[in-house]
Amino acid sequence: MATLTLDKVSKVYQARRAAPVLAVDAVDMAIADGEIVGLLGSSGCGKTSTLRMIAGFEDVTSGAIEVGERVINDLLPAERNIAMAFEGYALYPPLRVKDNIGFALLRDRQPRAEVDRKVKEVAALLEIESALERYPPMISAGQQQRTSLARALIRSADVFLLDEPMSQLEPQLRAVLRARLKDWLISRKMTTVFVTHDQTEAIALADRIAVMEQGVLQQLASPEELKERPANLFVASFIGEPPMNLFAARVDRSRSDLGLVVLDDQGEKAFRLDFDEAVDGLADGQAVHLGIRPHRFRLGPGPGAVDATVVSHSWLGDQTHIGLERAGTTFILVANGEVHAAIGDPFTVHAPMSAIHLFDAETDQAVFHGSEFRGSELRG
Amino acid sequence: MTYLSLTAVSKRFKDDVVLDKASLAIDRGETVVVFGPSGCGKTVLLRLIAGINEPDEGRIHIAGNEVTFLEPEQRNIGMAFQNFALYPHMTAFDNIASPLKARGMKGTEIARRVEEVGELLKIGHVLHHLPKALSNGQKQRTSLGRALAANPRLLLLDDPLRNVDAKLRYEMRIELPRVLKAFQTTVIYVTQDYKEAMALGDRVAVLMGGGFKQIDHPSEIYKDPDSLDVARLFGDPTVNVVDGRIADGAVELLGLRFPLPGHLDPGPCRVALRPESIEVTLDETAAGSMPVDVGDEGRHGLAVELDAVTPLNVRAVMLLKTADGKELLATCSEDEATRLPRGHKNVTAHIRAADLLFFDQAGARLRPRPN
Amino acid sequence: MQRQTSLGRVVRVGLLTMVGLFFLFPIFWVFLMSFQTNQEILRIPPSLFFEPTLHNYQVLFSGRLETQTGTLEVRFMQNLMNSVILATSSVALSLVLGIPAAYAFARFKFRLGEDIAFTLLSFRFAPPLLVLLPLAIYFQQLGLINTYTGLIWVYQLITLPLILWIVRGYFEDISEDIEHAYRIDGNGWFKTFWKIAIPLAKPGIAAATLLSFIFAWNNFVFALILASADKQPVTVGALAFVTASGIQYGQIAASIVLSVTPTLALALYAQRYLVEGLSLGAVKG
Repeated sequence: MATLTLDKVSKVYQARRAAPVLAVDAVDMAIADGEIVGLLGSSGCGKTSTLRMIAGFEDVTSGAIEVGERVINDLLPAERNIAMAFEGYALYPPLRVKDNIGFALLRDRQPRAEVDRKVKEVAALLEIESALERYPPMISAGQQQRTSLARALIRSADVFLLDEPMSQLEPQLRAVLRARLKDWLISRKMTTVFVTHDQTEAIALADRIAVMEQGVLQQLASPEELKERPANLFVASFIGEPPMNLFAARVDRSRSDLGLVVLDDQGEKAFRLDFDEAVDGLADGQAVHLGIRPHRFRLGPGPGAVDATVVSHSWLGDQTHIGLERAGTTFILVANGEVHAAIGDPFTVHAPMSAIHLFDAETDQAVFHGSEFRGSELRG
Repeated sequence: MTYLSLTAVSKRFKDDVVLDKASLAIDRGETVVVFGPSGCGKTVLLRLIAGINEPDEGRIHIAGNEVTFLEPEQRNIGMAFQNFALYPHMTAFDNIASPLKARGMKGTEIARRVEEVGELLKIGHVLHHLPKALSNGQKQRTSLGRALAANPRLLLLDDPLRNVDAKLRYEMRIELPRVLKAFQTTVIYVTQDYKEAMALGDRVAVLMGGGFKQIDHPSEIYKDPDSLDVARLFGDPTVNVVDGRIADGAVELLGLRFPLPGHLDPGPCRVALRPESIEVTLDETAAGSMPVDVGDEGRHGLAVELDAVTPLNVRAVMLLKTADGKELLATCSEDEATRLPRGHKNVTAHIRAADLLFFDQAGARLRPRPN
Repeated sequence: MQRQTSLGRVVRVGLLTMVGLFFLFPIFWVFLMSFQTNQEILRIPPSLFFEPTLHNYQVLFSGRLETQTGTLEVRFMQNLMNSVILATSSVALSLVLGIPAAYAFARFKFRLGEDIAFTLLSFRFAPPLLVLLPLAIYFQQLGLINTYTGLIWVYQLITLPLILWIVRGYFEDISEDIEHAYRIDGNGWFKTFWKIAIPLAKPGIAAATLLSFIFAWNNFVFALILASADKQPVTVGALAFVTASGIQYGQIAASIVLSVTPTLALALYAQRYLVEGLSLGAVKG
């Protein structure tokens, strides 16, 4: 186990007769010993290129990758002491599942009994005990993926790289295996970088998440931080399910200390939110994007109230999703437990100050997070 | 009034029995979601109703008329496909106009109708584009518009939100009920996402093993499943299943005794426990001691080890391990999760007795009879 | 490999030039020959510099060839017309028969379907000479010898399998759901075939048409045996220049140039459709 540092790492792909493609743009990352970091983004955002550079399958165009104190840029993959689980599984078809998993240990001439014990342990963790004696082509895609994951987890390496480690999991197994995997990584202090396009997986497993888009690291922070203090509009719209409600809005201080005029598609006023709190750094009339997470709305009237109409209602067993409309704008509200409402009903909600996120309309950078503003709580 | 009925419909492909005497009855104007694990025959079912395939046995009626062996074009239905299946050589306008043209509608009437549908689905500004120039969300709306344009008597939706991103999926989840209401059409919606099933269905029909295992309102299926298999399909994380034993008007499980609300025959049973029915408190029950029955609110305390916390959207999942190594999953709100530790910790799990579901060894539901 | 050095570029251009010369030289030489007299052609060593003459083309257009032994009638224009009639009609007939058949093979899995499709393809495997003799005898008895009908029929051996196999592949690439959607819209199967399947397979149909036209145009043996002078295409007609008084290389070259021109023009014209077809497939995913 060791630290992993990326220092201004860039990757440029140069195809013949084509403009160079900047796949990874000066990414800085300092990953602590034993930390779990998820690289999250949509396809083509540079997350897989980053992982492959760490593994040594891609040349680093510029910058340095360090494991501990050691710069590993020019080392062969085999010399890096890194374990990896591949998205395409990359299992050895002529070997039984158990030999696939124990391959690296057997190659290092560890005693067979010892290897078998470790294989059994990791197989139990990932629920593939029943497949151990079989050959990879005979088992399901989900089992192959878990075999590939097990083959990486069983090793002792400085850094563990997992490429889409759980994308093929059966839904019924997903929650428990994620929890077990997290427990395994934490209790063994394994420094881990995993790539995923699924934010649910990233949020479940990672200590910190690196959100990437177009080769640029948008934000590297804990899941809570990403949700409560997204650095820019992209992170805000990308993280969270259901996604953050976003409205075009304008700051208007004529009627209250902080007034927000929410605009519909045509740029006409749809409704306004008012707070009696003085907030610095926001100009009167400034164009912003207003973001409110679906589960941060509070039911009933209060500061930042909106009178809306119910347009959809669904109870999902442990939470209720309610779609609301107000003057051409729609948004979604999530409440824990069961909340009754019928389509067409009037429905009043309010967004407390702590639920408000504002992003500058021109730069898309965050300018205000209500959760950082403690004024109301102090007084209340 | 039953509008669509499938009566003992069977379909085989070679030796693979996909549907085995499946029956379903749908009322006019109702939205029924057909939900099941992948490969359960949902899509085949839609294709039988659409007339793309013919059943080996059984009958299909729409509005009282038998359609079992009619050609697709004779059935007056609309269908949206998972892969959109837009006509790549026609503009979005012509795609949506296609069913209207086939019904011999006049040009001006068609234009008016397509504009109307385009407006409703918010694709009015891209109607002159070819499908390749549309975004995924616009393609999806075009395909929906085409299915709806001719006001078909029956609308079949084959997992239409599968191939769009989370943002669009939620947008459509809000919008779809309103659109469907505007057309007042009878809808069969196929999905393999239980949340979508619960969100969009007036009723949900659970398709498994070639037949419908339960057809009911979403909340009934969630709260009152007929079998363990159905219970497992709904909920994320899925239900915890533990072995129990019924004796003397109570059930014993995990070393706890819960009085039964009614009568059940004594013997071994399986008990399903939803993750949200387990509450975790950080106080530590004395290690090794028999857990105390808290008594109040029917909750029971159990000494467990908290091994891992994995946040899940607005909640967090906790992996708990009992003294004898049994794993349980519990959920709590995101805010509560922030005060939970990163490593292992001994905590107390409280189980809400009223939420326990009992099943026999084969997985069939056992419902306590009133005493 | 990423940054191309100037040396690399020079080497690449040099190699490409050599390959180009190697393949294009014969055509270029034939083109030159068509403007030379027989004497100039047979001169050793050959020279790139000569007095160009249009005599060879005049002979082809006028149909009269003066030689030492007398005046020969040349039916080149008739031959050219025959080629056009034979190739066009054969391809047209093959399209009418082959496209629906290709669709059936692509969409409907019926008993022996694969076997029938393969049998049709196997017509292309057998050397034509193998069937020529019996064919000639049958045609004699049926009165089909030396008729357009007979030749067009035989040409189906060349054009039909090509069209069938190429177009079938394109039909198979069309998502069945697209056709199902059109049926559900309220259209019958024939309209679906006509309005959906054919337009979407257009690039494939264009490619198959072009290829089979070229193959039909270039056919030699069938026409050699089954047709006499008035029904012969240019490929066979060029033999007329092998006369008793010697081989008329100049006229042969000119007839080659003239007979290659239509197919070349067709290929150049169809090229953009073919390319479009390829790129359409690329973005379909």
